[in-house]
Amino acid sequence: MNADRFSRLAMAFARETARSSTARLCTACVDVLSVTGAGITIMGGDQAGPICVSDPNVAALEDLQYTIGQGPCRDAFHTGVWVHAPRLDMDTSIRWPSFVAMARESGIRAVFAYPLIAANSKIGVLALYQSVEGDLTPAQHDDSIALAEILTETVLSLQDDAPPGTLAPGLDDAVQYRAEIYQASGMIAIQLAIPAAEALMRIRAYAFANDQTVAETAAQIVARRLRLPNDHQSETEQ
Amino acid sequence: MSDDALARAATRQTLTATTFVEIVDTLVSDFDVIEVLTLLTSRSVDLLDAAAAGILLADSAGQLRVVGASNEQIQLLELFQVQNDQGPCLDCFHSGQVVLHSNLDTISPWPLFAAECTKAGFASVCAVPLRLRAHTLGCLNMFMCEPGGLTDTDVALSQALADVASIAIIQDQATRDAAIREGHLQHALNSRIAIEQAKGMIAEHNRVDMDEAFSRLRAYARNTNRGLTDVAKALVAGTTDVSAVSATRRSAPPPPPHA
Repeated sequence: MNADRFSRLAMAFARETARSSTARLCTACVDVLSVTGAGITIMGGDQAGPICVSDPNVAALEDLQYTIGQGPCRDAFHTGVWVHAPRLDMDTSIRWPSFVAMARESGIRAVFAYPLIAANSKIGVLALYQSVEGDLTPAQHDDSIALAEILTETVLSLQDDAPPGTLAPGLDDAVQYRAEIYQASGMIAIQLAIPAAEALMRIRAYAFANDQTVAETAAQIVARRLRLPNDHQSETEQ
Repeated sequence: MSDDALARAATRQTLTATTFVEIVDTLVSDFDVIEVLTLLTSRSVDLLDAAAAGILLADSAGQLRVVGASNEQIQLLELFQVQNDQGPCLDCFHSGQVVLHSNLDTISPWPLFAAECTKAGFASVCAVPLRLRAHTLGCLNMFMCEPGGLTDTDVALSQALADVASIAIIQDQATRDAAIREGHLQHALNSRIAIEQAKGMIAEHNRVDMDEAFSRLRAYARNTNRGLTDVAKALVAGTTDVSAVSATRRSAPPPPPHA
């Protein structure tokens, strides 16, 4: 079978799988690539949401990268090229200090991130996590690039079916997952009379300073148990 | 070969190489496909002893359209082929093969087109397909003042130029297609996020929960005849004030909770 035909079949297959459940895409990546964990994130501007994660550990690491706005996924997305971190050691620690600390704590020793790119447009990231140090094999790397291509087509074709302006069901999970964070940023925008984008930065900063995830901080704000301090006020727990 | 002929051959070789480099160079990033096709017509004239050249491409409905011509007169001749449904370009497009007519004075398969060409001062024509594998995208048409058409070498060279241009066209279509689909995804993502942010704003301003905030957002959108996304984005951008939404009375029973 030629490569062209093979990739067409693979894409058709991925599209059908994704229609029944996007959650299976990550387990498929883990199986096909023989890695410890995988996460697929879609990005809109600076906002990101996972459409699937292979396990809670991966979810926590993806959340952390979102909280601090740093890590291999961010880098892969912004540069548009894959990022390999085969050893989470001193060197990578300088690049992503908090991420490396938490990844090591949760038993992850290597991370590989591949951007999802259609022509010149970036739509998300496929992240692979390994519990052992070391590079991917050349075959794993090639397969990851192919999978990233297939996943891009999967995401775009899922969205092709959605009415304009609405997200396809499998992709809506990405926003739903962080819905409270967006709601909280709307609330903080009103509380502090600042733009919503800036409100989100404040929430991130608060979460990071207080050793929480953005989701935890947001949940407290939405439950009205927390108001963020104005620049000249100190924070108050209600 | 005379010195003169040798010199001409050398110049042509250089120009051929330069043309390929030029075309490939335009493909690197953010290229304009019309620019590539215009380059193709003008270089075909320079390289192939053709007096003029034109390009027709099929649109999404399979209808041929004139997209480039080395001069205005050719633009009209190409249009003439499409309108009268006859000419070398149409035959070439439908067969995917090179069509060469070396003397338009003799009995032509396209009498109307041949008459127009003769009137315009052309004696022979050649059409080469723009194709990618089995798929024909359109064709490159060359017009010569002398009978005899093009030599085999010239036909091969023009086909090579056409092949490079075909890659440009396919690449351009793929990029556009991806950009449009990516645009839809981004729009939908940003709309969904804006709705959640707007809910938070209304909830905070009115001290209500998220379900109630969403009801008010929907009611306001309905009452003002605007889209839900439009209102949400305007709130987030600050172009619609949150107090305007808050003043809205619900005109319908609350819709099912959104989140």
